Amino acid sequence: MEAHSRSTLPLAILAVALAFAAGCVTVKPQQRSVLADPIMQFEGDPQASAQLRHAIDNREGSYGGGGVAGGGCGCN
Amino acid sequence: MRLQLTSLARVLGRSVRGPARSARAAGAAAFALASALGAGPLASTARAQVAEVDTAHTLYHEAPTRTNMTVYTPGVDAAATPADWITVRGGYEADIVSGASVATKAGSAYQSVNPGVDVITTASVKDFRHAPRGGFTLRKGDVAYTASYTYGTENDYKSHSIFVGARTDAYEHNTQFEISYARNFDSVCDRVQAAGDTPPRFRALEDSSGCFTNDPLRRRRPLSIDGLQASWTQAWTPTFATQLVYTAQLIDGFQSNAYRSIIVAQGLKAQEHHPDVRVRQALALRLNWYVRPIKVALRLTGRAYRDTWDVTSGTGELEAERYLVEGLRLAARGRFYRQTGALFWSDDYTGGDPPLGPKGQYFTGDRELSPFWSIGLGARVTYLIHPTPKPEGGTSRLLGIFTNAKLGASVDAIQFSYDEYTLAGVPITNARAYIIGATAGAAF
Repeated sequence: MEAHSRSTLPLAILAVALAFAAGCVTVKPQQRSVLADPIMQFEGDPQASAQLRHAIDNREGSYGGGGVAGGGCGCN
Repeated sequence: MRLQLTSLARVLGRSVRGPARSARAAGAAAFALASALGAGPLASTARAQVAEVDTAHTLYHEAPTRTNMTVYTPGVDAAATPADWITVRGGYEADIVSGASVATKAGSAYQSVNPGVDVITTASVKDFRHAPRGGFTLRKGDVAYTASYTYGTENDYKSHSIFVGARTDAYEHNTQFEISYARNFDSVCDRVQAAGDTPPRFRALEDSSGCFTNDPLRRRRPLSIDGLQASWTQAWTPTFATQLVYTAQLIDGFQSNAYRSIIVAQGLKAQEHHPDVRVRQALALRLNWYVRPIKVALRLTGRAYRDTWDVTSGTGELEAERYLVEGLRLAARGRFYRQTGALFWSDDYTGGDPPLGPKGQYFTGDRELSPFWSIGLGARVTYLIHPTPKPEGGTSRLLGIFTNAKLGASVDAIQFSYDEYTLAGVPITNARAYIIGATAGAAF
């Protein structure tokens, strides 16, 4: 348990640091046409993606980490 | 929008008649809804439209050694956005299952002691599941709040699932954070065991007759699922974005397959016996990059998973998608998955050399808890149709009704390779699953 905590703590710190660093990133609204396109959505077709993911989940011993909708354009 | 596949997952869980997978799928349902809510190309224009309707159909088929399973899942959902600040939705889904699953499991050690005996048995599976659902999303500024409820009912399983989630934008909309929580209150049908018996002498449920009635030979086993998911989606450049997703789930209750028996000793078979508590965690990182020179969107996913049953896994996925013509997209994908077995997994609990032999107080015949790897290939085509804008302005409509419409179809094949799982020493062959999907949607 302790070893597990040691291994996850740096990852958690890195994720938080990156989240704050993300504030320095600026993609202007007029530059978001590609990000807003359906082809750049993480769940490009939410229905189809959900179908496949859950079908697979039920043939495997693991679960979680599924995609979340949106392409990072803040336009959904 | 839709979570029709959540019930496919439920049904696939039923295909081996295992509440564990039922629980997993039910828990997953909420997050699938979270993903679908406010998502997709249709939803991106939700505030400009009044209502939308989606229907989806999925066919799953597999026929490995001595078993087979076919699942058809039709579903329909409708959503209305009467004002910018609110969307309400409702839907219904059914699962139609037929096939045959393993009812009694043994391994090679037992078979070597009992040569010529066909100890493996299978049972036919036929089921029909109904799952109505409803929910709403409230929006204020850059924040959206969602709540939903799903009720699932079938002969041997009842489920009440609630979901709440929130999503917000930050850093000039270059960042999205989302967090959600889901809770399931489920009941699993089981048989009443003889007084004084312990798990190694428990008998498996014969069938679902009498379940959820006053039948003195049946009982309800509770199962609760708490799920938490948090995600961070980030646009780094005009053509590159990432997404980090963390999922945690606590399952507490009856997670065994009530119908499955395991040969635990010579002349002794017992109902599958899993631990009551399972804590699962997964962390996934997705990279989404649009390669301008070849006009292709590349999606790369890596996922790590671990749970308290000592199942660990790693997943790698690569998908490439591009427009063939305006509105018509084609995607191709590949996936590799590898997992370890559960701490209490053994292909034969009666003896033999490691990794065979007893593994403590629990025993399972679930091949999804054995070590294996799989590889999958698939393709998807999506056609999004927008009406031609009117030269004079105003809202254009397809067929005079729809503001837009979408059609989709997909096909996937997955090959599984089991390191240890056998049916009385006979390895599983033809462990290949085929999944065909079709979706259609329209907005008004």
